[in-house]
Amino acid sequence: MNFLLSDEQTQIVDSLHDLLSEQMPVSRFRPPAPQIGNSDQAFWPQLGELGFLGIGLPEEHGGIGLSAAEEMLAHREFGRHLLSPAILGLTLGARLAARLRPDLLEEILRGLLPIALANPRGSVQVGEICHGEFHLIDAKQAEWILICSEHGSALLRRKDFTAVTDVLATDHVLSLERGVLTGARPVCWLAESQECLYPRAQLLVSAYAVGLAEATRNMAVEYAKARQQFGKPIGSFQAIKHLCADMAIRAEAAACQVIFAALVLAEGRAGADFHSVAAKLVAVEAALQNAAQNIQVHGAIGFTAEADAHLFIKRAHVLEQLWGDTRQQRRMMLAAPFPDG
Amino acid sequence: MDLQFSVEDIRFRDEARAWLHDNVPREHRPHAGEAMRAFDTAWQLRQFEGGWAGVSWPKEYGGLGLPLIRQLIWHEEYARAAAPDNHLCFVALNHAGPTLIARGSEAQKSFHLPKILRGEVIWCQGFSEPNAGSDLASLRTQARIDGDYLVVNGSKIWTSHGHLSDWQELLVRTDPEAPRHKGISWVICDMKLPGITLRPIEIMTSPNQVHFVQCFYDDVRIPLGNVVGAVNDGWNVAMSTLGFERGTAQVRDQIRYAYLVEKMIAEARRRLGSDCALSDDVIGARLAQLRADMAAARAMTYMVMSRAQAGIQDSQSSLMRAMVGETQQRARRLALDILGPDGLENREEDDWVYFYLRSFSITIAAGTSQIQRNIIGERVLGLPR
Repeated sequence: MNFLLSDEQTQIVDSLHDLLSEQMPVSRFRPPAPQIGNSDQAFWPQLGELGFLGIGLPEEHGGIGLSAAEEMLAHREFGRHLLSPAILGLTLGARLAARLRPDLLEEILRGLLPIALANPRGSVQVGEICHGEFHLIDAKQAEWILICSEHGSALLRRKDFTAVTDVLATDHVLSLERGVLTGARPVCWLAESQECLYPRAQLLVSAYAVGLAEATRNMAVEYAKARQQFGKPIGSFQAIKHLCADMAIRAEAAACQVIFAALVLAEGRAGADFHSVAAKLVAVEAALQNAAQNIQVHGAIGFTAEADAHLFIKRAHVLEQLWGDTRQQRRMMLAAPFPDG
Repeated sequence: MDLQFSVEDIRFRDEARAWLHDNVPREHRPHAGEAMRAFDTAWQLRQFEGGWAGVSWPKEYGGLGLPLIRQLIWHEEYARAAAPDNHLCFVALNHAGPTLIARGSEAQKSFHLPKILRGEVIWCQGFSEPNAGSDLASLRTQARIDGDYLVVNGSKIWTSHGHLSDWQELLVRTDPEAPRHKGISWVICDMKLPGITLRPIEIMTSPNQVHFVQCFYDDVRIPLGNVVGAVNDGWNVAMSTLGFERGTAQVRDQIRYAYLVEKMIAEARRRLGSDCALSDDVIGARLAQLRADMAAARAMTYMVMSRAQAGIQDSQSSLMRAMVGETQQRARRLALDILGPDGLENREEDDWVYFYLRSFSITIAAGTSQIQRNIIGERVLGLPR
């Protein structure tokens, strides 16, 4: 039993971190950059070339063949740098394609076939036939759309959605549209009974959320060290120090549970459902709370568009909704069998 | 990164499980006085005779000399078997013993450690004082050197089970002129020495529950040979074992609490009716979040263990401690809420109401939540003092 990163894992994290800090810094969203939408899609080929889009996919499918642990670590870095969550469309879509549409796989893994996300608005039917209203996330230039649910995952074409209308996203550096499916047949439908994709989807969105929780903790701590009031760094005051400590506790709890869930998945142990839903609940809560407290530690500047703090709270709310909101996660949490191992 | 255990670890686990299955006392553990002491010491002796005491302690003092991971496995199996916690042995096994192993002299180790493992002696802690709680380094109980003796005067407080103890790990000020942290010594104190008087302190759990004592020292003469480490180096000696107290011993508690949450879910189902959608209920929402947080608390403990195994020494474990304590406290409050109106009855010790009341101590003992946050802020995050 060892929760520490191996040297190889540390290298992967460091190289990805360096790449993203250089090419995709969070400051890319600062004014005068356009405040609506993003161009992250242009970066997918580079990530694809380095193998990060198929990091956890077996080699026989064209992936790197590493485990859920490395895949988790990569998504943590994606979250830290606020990559478009459509990245999950690629990493999860690749698994769907590997099983049902191998002809699409190479293009997906090379980052040349963007796959956007559809998230249900209220009650929907997802299966061999799909019905209901959805939000489309960063889907403007995507031909393909992924829907992920506890019952199974579907790959559809953008043109399967009707009545598509633009809406302003709360997280406005994403593009958001509404769309409707009425009896659409997905190009790929993979029921959970055929292959368990959902725990992995939960794990990866949780890892992304940990990236947010850690990034906001770091921002708050750095600011608390630098910002002076009453002649001292504000981090010397217990009121601020304890907020930062709370953020550190939450980030650590989330990071550790996400490691736990990743290892259970990687080693094929019992309890993947239990640990991945626990990871989503703990990590999303950490991301939401830390993002909010980061704004508070920053004071007035935290409330502006020129500081990056607002981006994280907005993104955390997107993560909360993906693959089922907190209410749904709690229902699943209570239903999951307790892994007594 | 892995969750693997070696073949030897797995064999150890199987053997521990089998032994516990056959040997865990099934009778109710008494909650006070000599009956409690007799129960706890007998159970400790049984563990020793079964060959399970002091898993990671050195062999020459009666331990098994196994790696820390086996200690963790033992605690996991202990909790899984619902073995009763012998609380009276806690300080000796998890605090005094490891301190002696780390810093004690040969004579101190060979005299005390075997007795601890066999459950022959009960130890208590003498750290806090009426005016030195969170600010422990301001302690004032004075010890003057007189020939081969320390002569101790002063008072200690919040000493759990002091009235049932044989030995005390006692922090005293041996140099009042030195800077606060430098003039303290860590001393083994015989609780039967003349000049020690005890005042029982009842706690809030239920009427007439003596848990703590206040100790008064009036010219108590302790042999200088009972100082552990060097005179005036007691602060470092005390700090040398925080990792032990906060590491493996926590695992037992966590697993126990994880099972408690499962019992709470079952009880909530029973009380609300099996057709009630627990997830739509406020209680259900809190149970779900608690179940997730309890899993995360265990994951944090595995991280602390992983760091300890790799020889990393830092204050990172304070993150786990804060999270674990507060999650356990939240569990106790939720258990009370599940009971509903029956929570008005404090029926017996060992039930959810008793432990709810007891849970207020979790965020106070061994460093309040607020002190933990100071440590996290300053030593983990590097914020200025």
